[in-house]
Amino acid sequence: MWRRSASFILDKQFQQRNDAAAAPESIPVSSPPAASMTDNPIQVPKISAYYQTRAAHNGVVTSDWLAQAQAAVRHSPPDSPKGNGKGSVIDEFNRWRNQPDLAEAVAAIRALAAVIRDSTATTMMELEIELKKASDSLKSWDTTSISLTAGCDLFIRYVSRTSALEYEDFNSAKSRLLERAEKFGEISCKARRIIAMLSQDFIFDGCTILVHGFSRVVLEVLKLAAQNKKLFRIFCTEGRPDRTGLRLSNELAKLDVPVKLLIDSAVAYTMDEVDMVLVGADGVVESGGIINMMGTYQIALVAHIMNKPVYVAAESYKFARLYPLDQKDMGPALRTIDFGVPLPSKVEVETSARDYTPPKYLTLLFTDLGVLTPSVVSDELIQLYL
Amino acid sequence: MPDTQSLVNDFLNKLKKRKIEGSQATARQTAELLRVVISQQRVPYTNQAGALIDAVKAVGERLIAANPVELAVGNIVRRVLHIIREEDLTLATAAVAGLNVSGVSDDEDDSEHGDHPVLSAAVVAAAARITLRPPSLQTLLEDMPDSAAVPHTSSSGGDSEGKSKSADKSSRSRKLKHDVIEAVNELIQDIATCHDQISEQAVEHIHQNEVILTLGSSRTVLEFLCAAKEKKRSFRVFVAEGAPRYRGHLLAKELVARGLQTTLITDSAVFAMISRVNMVIVGAHAVMANGGVIAPVGLNMVALAAQKHAVPFVVLAGSHKLCPLYPHNPEVLLNELRSPSELLDFGEFSDCLDFGNATGSPLLHVVNPMFDYVPPKLVSLFITDTGGHNPSYMYRLIADYYSADDLVVQRRPASEN
Repeated sequence: MWRRSASFILDKQFQQRNDAAAAPESIPVSSPPAASMTDNPIQVPKISAYYQTRAAHNGVVTSDWLAQAQAAVRHSPPDSPKGNGKGSVIDEFNRWRNQPDLAEAVAAIRALAAVIRDSTATTMMELEIELKKASDSLKSWDTTSISLTAGCDLFIRYVSRTSALEYEDFNSAKSRLLERAEKFGEISCKARRIIAMLSQDFIFDGCTILVHGFSRVVLEVLKLAAQNKKLFRIFCTEGRPDRTGLRLSNELAKLDVPVKLLIDSAVAYTMDEVDMVLVGADGVVESGGIINMMGTYQIALVAHIMNKPVYVAAESYKFARLYPLDQKDMGPALRTIDFGVPLPSKVEVETSARDYTPPKYLTLLFTDLGVLTPSVVSDELIQLYL
Repeated sequence: MPDTQSLVNDFLNKLKKRKIEGSQATARQTAELLRVVISQQRVPYTNQAGALIDAVKAVGERLIAANPVELAVGNIVRRVLHIIREEDLTLATAAVAGLNVSGVSDDEDDSEHGDHPVLSAAVVAAAARITLRPPSLQTLLEDMPDSAAVPHTSSSGGDSEGKSKSADKSSRSRKLKHDVIEAVNELIQDIATCHDQISEQAVEHIHQNEVILTLGSSRTVLEFLCAAKEKKRSFRVFVAEGAPRYRGHLLAKELVARGLQTTLITDSAVFAMISRVNMVIVGAHAVMANGGVIAPVGLNMVALAAQKHAVPFVVLAGSHKLCPLYPHNPEVLLNELRSPSELLDFGEFSDCLDFGNATGSPLLHVVNPMFDYVPPKLVSLFITDTGGHNPSYMYRLIADYYSADDLVVQRRPASEN
């Protein structure tokens, strides 16, 4: 039986001894970044900006976020004159992204629409190249956000496909692209409503739904069910460290839906009483699996072994061309976790913010393209990229 | 018109009283009825597809409501609607292609006028193709014009070209009904011959000296097994009797009549015998969009036993059994209860009434469900008339046979075209 050799422990100790001996300004990645104002705070985002924003929406202010915000305020005046072209895409994107109701992919497409509006290109080819550069800079600014990448890819694909229809002149094509991009924002709201409508039949009177993470799509589904006077109750996990459960239970209490909060470890304990699990997704990958907040995989495993269906509510623009083979296959998206007590520097913390749930643990996906089984996802993606 | 109405009412009665047995017979009669409805329907000059679709939806709504558990009715209604849309699209692209050609030839006379038919032709064709396909990532960003707009623009294009086009248009109107009726005839033919197409694949799946298990009686299974016998495969069949109707007895007799070695067992013996079996082959009442199967009662048990012993569970289903709906509570919503007299004679009930109770309500309840739901993970293979498929592939067949607009068959309240 192959077992991992213990050498990794010895190697770690060796490295730590070396680091302690070396110059003290190099900071090993694993130590908690307690209010460390290094000279280059921009390099600290090994912390995923996507999850920072989600945390900000949930009203969780970590010390590291504060540090970054202060650093950003300090550094912005010298930044604005230079790099106006590239920087403006990212600024525009950030402006849209910070609206709590707007999906990430929609913000990306709006930012790219702004690029089209401000562009001075005279042919489709030039416009496409500009868009490609803007989309690359957006993607590289936050490599961990899947819906951002998927949204950019979708839009670029749409542009290159429609530019192949050579019958139009440039200006009308450009205005059509702009109009479509701006309409995409409505598609996001419409998508949530379609998903809510499609999932209504699956929520029956007297059912118990386990929810994990704070997904605006899932909230829309539950809102519509409550409006349709369905009688159901929700178990929601606490969702450490983002406290998503607390926020979700607030929203549900406003809808008069009976909510029960569980700590994350109590999922298996209560899975008996649960009729179905409903989660959102940060991204849907090519195999039909999903990438979602840390803890989703665990819940899907428990639900699978206890024969409870796992339903995912995700808009179609979250389909991404990724195929993770295991949990570590995706780029790391790290998130600072505040334990409330200071930890000794030798203690490592698993800070990954998301996990991958393979398709065999998922029952159905509710998307604006319809109710899909996980195997349909790759079909859709292939059709798009053919 | 009165003729069609009386036919429709007749059929509705038969459905409500459950006089038609079996999805194949139901499907065939539904298709024939819809053919009559289409041929009797008078279509207006413009947007005939819309009128036909409305007529079919009106009748279809009532048919589905008469017997919601018989999914084949809804399937055929949706197939016919899809056929109408497809034929309309084919005609529209053909007409538009005709316009295209004439537009190009008129280029020297009116250069800017000639451009417009070419433009609208390409856009109209693309738009029409989009409305027919189910929504996908590709179409997410594109405009979705009304299906009513499609023939409208092509007809306006026709008007601008002059009187020669109006003659084409009238012949086109007759062509649509004609094409649709031809396609419905093909559909009826397919339903009638589905057994043959499935049986042709028998030789690939049944090998020499195999032991096959089946439950109850299905005509598709009978034909399948006999086709393998014809091709000189020698194998044995275990037939579970399928209480309470004991249809398995009939199947066993028929198999013996055709020269197959058969063993008749009770339903309770299935788990005991399953380890000696090479393959389970069963028929289905309906196949749902997620690959789940609505099958005669007892088959869920057989499927679970087969999974436990790693025996392939093969389901034979004609394409008229394929339903585009997802089952969200199949044990209740897609099931019917038959008469309890099949389990207990009526006379024996009277002993079970509780006279200690004021109302004298019976202490004994007899439940006789008709169907079982087999989840997709228990099914190894579906054999349809198009070939063998994985349960997770069913959505592709559905996309081929049905349009997304028709999932809920309801006539639109206000339609003025």
